[in-house]
Amino acid sequence: MSVINQLSSPAMYLICGGIVAFVAVVCVIFAVRAWKAGKAIGMDPAVLKRVVTSSASFSVLPAIGILLGVIALSGALGIPWPWLRLSVIGALHYETQVAQGAAEQVGIHLSGSEMTASAFVTIALLMSLCIMWGMVLNLFLNKKYTNRLSRPKAGTEGGGFGDLAMTAMFIGLVSAYLGSYLGQWISGNGRFSFSGDALPLLTAIAAAAMMALLTGIARKGKLHWLEDFSLALSMLFGMACAVLIRLWM
Amino acid sequence: MERNETIAKYERGTHFLGRLVSLLTLAMLVGAPFLIGTWLGAMPDLGAVGRGFLAVGLVWTVSSVVEFLVYTPMLGSGGSYLAFITGNLINMKIPCAVNARDLAGVKAGTKENEIVSTLSIAVSSLVTIVILAVGVLLLQPLQPLLQSPALQPAFDNVVPALFGAMAYKYYRKDLKLAVWPLLMMSVLFILVPTLQSQTSILIIPAGALAILLAWLKYRKDRTKA
Repeated sequence: MSVINQLSSPAMYLICGGIVAFVAVVCVIFAVRAWKAGKAIGMDPAVLKRVVTSSASFSVLPAIGILLGVIALSGALGIPWPWLRLSVIGALHYETQVAQGAAEQVGIHLSGSEMTASAFVTIALLMSLCIMWGMVLNLFLNKKYTNRLSRPKAGTEGGGFGDLAMTAMFIGLVSAYLGSYLGQWISGNGRFSFSGDALPLLTAIAAAAMMALLTGIARKGKLHWLEDFSLALSMLFGMACAVLIRLWM
Repeated sequence: MERNETIAKYERGTHFLGRLVSLLTLAMLVGAPFLIGTWLGAMPDLGAVGRGFLAVGLVWTVSSVVEFLVYTPMLGSGGSYLAFITGNLINMKIPCAVNARDLAGVKAGTKENEIVSTLSIAVSSLVTIVILAVGVLLLQPLQPLLQSPALQPAFDNVVPALFGAMAYKYYRKDLKLAVWPLLMMSVLFILVPTLQSQTSILIIPAGALAILLAWLKYRKDRTKA
């Protein structure tokens, strides 16, 4: 049996699937605890239900995008390992980059035909070591850090500047990405050439336009259920526009 | 009093569980390559791992520290433990939790926000796990569809679609706050196009500028009041 076939064998599914199942159980435990605690401190169950619905509907499209990452890596690493990595801890933009960097270090190209057992376990270990630090920091510092953050300050109730700061941080995050899409179009093929890839920018504009439309309809018609799905629907519209624009371009 | 006791008990349990499952997940993720190696009859080349870590790992280590410092206040303790275990923070967990927070009408730093973000990330992770599991099971029939050239632009642009929609939602909350970070980032990426591969790091100066502007506005509003 070739190495690439061994990497998609039942034993690999058992090892990787076991870890994925463990994390799924952890998610269920955290969800149940949060739901119960929410009810215990007087939160409206209808609000908690909206959180569940909107989070589930929002996650479908990015999850399909992540599935493509599994497919992309499966040619070199088999199916179970990329499946594990992208279900647990991994990030779509990170995995391919690190896997390629790791393959270079063991002197091969990231492909199924060149993969050896030793190269695979080396790449797999490096992928785990490179991205585990967020979890390590949480293990040792989460309690101290969150306690420090939640210490009440004189004259401020929860949601004072902290709430505004979080909104501002998110605005900064979104601005960094939108700025990069604009830069990609204007200077992607040379500074001020205006010949770079405009598709990410146009997709973002299309999704924003749909979000504006759906928000307006939901507010005017007092349709709360539409608000829950507006992000997912806007993303779907943006992605559909990306297909149409590429056909047209 | 009862509310405070409930919250204190919930927080203690969250930290205990969070630490325990983080430790177990770490052990499993680092142990898995050795377990697989035993089965395949080959062990990791630790020299290559060390060299590889210096070559590609250090950048991600710095990135992890920044992510921990920036996202933990947004997510609260439970959400943070779970988000760092399940991954895909920027392209999924953070926007999901922020969107849920808005829908629920809770404010950052409150216990309600902690609960909403934990619930949101847990549900988002479960949906991802289920979709990936089903996708892996149906990989053969799905592969032609998902990899069809016609649909590639859609899947290549999930993140732009996400941030476009979120931009509308957040920019309309405070347009003045959004103008300068967007302008600064646009000018930076136009003048230095090579920075595009470093977008995740440039979130820091963009966020810092937005927070500074928010602080000035907050101080001004408080002085008026």
